[in-house]
Amino acid sequence: MRINEPIRVAVVFGPGSSIKPVWFDWKNRKHAVLETTYTWSDLKGSSKRLHFAVRDDGGLYQLTYDTVEQTWELSGLEGQ
Amino acid sequence: MTVSERSIMHIDMNAFFASVEQQANPDLRGKPIAVIGRGRTVVTTSSYEARAFGVKTGMNTWQAKQVCPQIIFVVGDNRKYTHTSAEIMKILQEYTPLVEVFSIDEAWLDITHSLALFGSAETIACQLKARIRHRFGITCSVGIAPNKLLAKLASDQQKPDGLTVFKPADVSRILERMPISELCGIGKKLQRQLNLLSIYTCGDLGRHDEPRLTKKFGVIGKRLKEMGQGIDHAPVVPFGEEEEIKSVGHSCTLARDISDPDEIRRVLLQLSEMVGSRARRYGVSGKTVHLYIRYADFFSSWGKQTTLASYATRTDEIYQAVVAILATVELEQPVRLMGVRLTNLQHHNQQLPLFPEEQKKARMIQAMDAVNNKLGDFCVTYASLLQSKEKGSHVISPAWRPEGIRSVQVQ
Repeated sequence: MRINEPIRVAVVFGPGSSIKPVWFDWKNRKHAVLETTYTWSDLKGSSKRLHFAVRDDGGLYQLTYDTVEQTWELSGLEGQ
Repeated sequence: MTVSERSIMHIDMNAFFASVEQQANPDLRGKPIAVIGRGRTVVTTSSYEARAFGVKTGMNTWQAKQVCPQIIFVVGDNRKYTHTSAEIMKILQEYTPLVEVFSIDEAWLDITHSLALFGSAETIACQLKARIRHRFGITCSVGIAPNKLLAKLASDQQKPDGLTVFKPADVSRILERMPISELCGIGKKLQRQLNLLSIYTCGDLGRHDEPRLTKKFGVIGKRLKEMGQGIDHAPVVPFGEEEEIKSVGHSCTLARDISDPDEIRRVLLQLSEMVGSRARRYGVSGKTVHLYIRYADFFSSWGKQTTLASYATRTDEIYQAVVAILATVELEQPVRLMGVRLTNLQHHNQQLPLFPEEQKKARMIQAMDAVNNKLGDFCVTYASLLQSKEKGSHVISPAWRPEGIRSVQVQ
């Protein structure tokens, strides 16, 4: 299911170029990221976007980081 | 070093799209899944668990459900696949610069000159398989042989997660009883024609009289005999050294059949914009415009072309050409698929328009391209396309490549 909603995300940058989402706020709830199951990137125009499939205790979510705008959004939910 | 001493590797990612989805969603691992397009009912690919039940690519979802009631349908995300493929190709290039991308999930490597650095071909294959599995959690089948034809044949022998080596001394024995349908390049139609000549195995093909093959199949007769003998001199052509592209095209299978002329023209305008913007981005212009239409029955189709007075890249020029072609044909059925292609190409040509009206159009296109290149395709587009729900490319073409003009950003 597509969501495309701006959200607040806590992230650990590094070591090196790694980016690890730790938790995110959505619908007045803090979701702790238990696992990043997959990462990929694409381009929207000249903006590189990084996508993270992450799992909390209840579901699988897709978080997207726009590297130019430096914004995070919840792009979608899996299996809900 | 002679051609016969080459060491060629073919890598084929196993059930690629389905494997990526199973990695992205741990709940899908070990389960029968099928990847389908958004709003589509045809199986693009399926996991090995689903294949065990008889699920095949091209089946309708109801057919897949019939043979495998517990199947899970997953809407594919092409961006995941193109990203993963491009990253895998980068890993392959760490072993040799001679990597030829055959499709999104297949590549050949010429590792002849890498053996001194990395050891045996089997060592390279095991390292690659381990790295791909570790990084992406997916498996691949690898074939190693003295040429591309045999390497691909070898990788097909063991799926999933295989490693097959054809040593030069064993090639004749292996090919003797190998069905011709296993060879890359021999499709069902050619197979039927060869069967009519009592050719069923590669051994039969390799022994067949060359003049008879040439008489029946023309110039490819000699090539067919060589294929039966396991001979293939084709080099591994790395990225950037391929022949210049000969066409820029896009096609679109519609979610439903359409017959409304306005709707058909809207799709053609969108396809013309996709072709035009890609051509402009890479400095290519074309003189011949092709239109391809497939009807609702999915079997009948036609294609027509027109050659313009001058080279074109502008969307409106391409669109007017395809609409003119369409006007010459009376559509027999509703339409299911449309394709627009630009050929007769000229590379790196920038002809400046002479007349004020043309200059104005060129400036408008430049401004639109500048915005779309920065913010994304179709951010600024024609007003008549605003109603279209699905804009851009939703299918990974077989000609997709990780970089350059063939690297189409898919949705």
